Amino acid sequence: MKPEVWHDFPDKSTGRAGTINLTPQPDDIRTFFSRGIEQNMDALFGVAMRLTQNTADAEDLVAESVEKAWSAIESLADHDRFRPWLFRILRNSFISKYRKQSQRPVEVSYEEPFVDEGESDLASWLIEQPEGFLSWWADPEKEALNDALGEQIMTAIAELPQAFQTTVLLINVEGLTYDEAAEVLGIPTGTVRSRMKRGRALLQKALWLQAREAGLTVAESTNQDKP
Amino acid sequence: MNQSNDPSGIDEIGCLQAIETLYAYLDGELDDPQTVASIEHHLGHCRSCYSRTEMERALTARMRRSGESRASAGLQARLRELLEKF
Repeated sequence: MKPEVWHDFPDKSTGRAGTINLTPQPDDIRTFFSRGIEQNMDALFGVAMRLTQNTADAEDLVAESVEKAWSAIESLADHDRFRPWLFRILRNSFISKYRKQSQRPVEVSYEEPFVDEGESDLASWLIEQPEGFLSWWADPEKEALNDALGEQIMTAIAELPQAFQTTVLLINVEGLTYDEAAEVLGIPTGTVRSRMKRGRALLQKALWLQAREAGLTVAESTNQDKP
Repeated sequence: MNQSNDPSGIDEIGCLQAIETLYAYLDGELDDPQTVASIEHHLGHCRSCYSRTEMERALTARMRRSGESRASAGLQARLRELLEKF
């Protein structure tokens, strides 16, 4: 079925996109598709890396997904949904490819049901967090320590439970929306929202524990950071 | 946490409720303007939640700088070659 509305191609008389019906021509489809792939190369690779954990596999997965997406382009009814549609194809390709490759089994199930518990406990813990710690992290002067802090953050993320880790990476590092992350992970958007809350709270807790291990005390940080 | 209306018509929310919506707020995923107004109102009055928000913003920016992936030149060339064939 060919899409009837081509949002990406403006009406020449009004200059406004998404307001006209055109009969799509093969060249229009190719241009739209190529542009969409060009704009999303980094995101596709980033997501593929999060899924495969391996550069060569990630690159193969992206190329395979682009081929599949082109074959299925006529099934895309709403061009505004190009990105989530593309990510869904990437995810489905990943699942089918890795299910077939027994020598490289998927170590983590991205479809396992997630039991959300302890959220209120985490929220209570966050409220009690010392303000000195929060201010220390938010201080722009700490930019000089950016590499060290970046390393600390990525270590803390790597220690998160897999479901939270992948969700946080897809959204906060690769820049996906909750809707797009839901497509990639094959879970409802509400579950993505819940994982983000818990994942970010756990991340903050891990950073606090790291800071304490490194010798940052509440008293020191509070005195140092108060205006 | 109970909520009440202040004279501006914005719902007053507490810290727990603010934390509940904070991440969706920072990620631009809150659709309800009333919820956005409530959380911004709370951040304007609560030093602790304001600091937490600033910390989360800084953390997200550093995460992105540290971990963002980029397609290699090889992958870009491979994809462009594919696109040429379509």
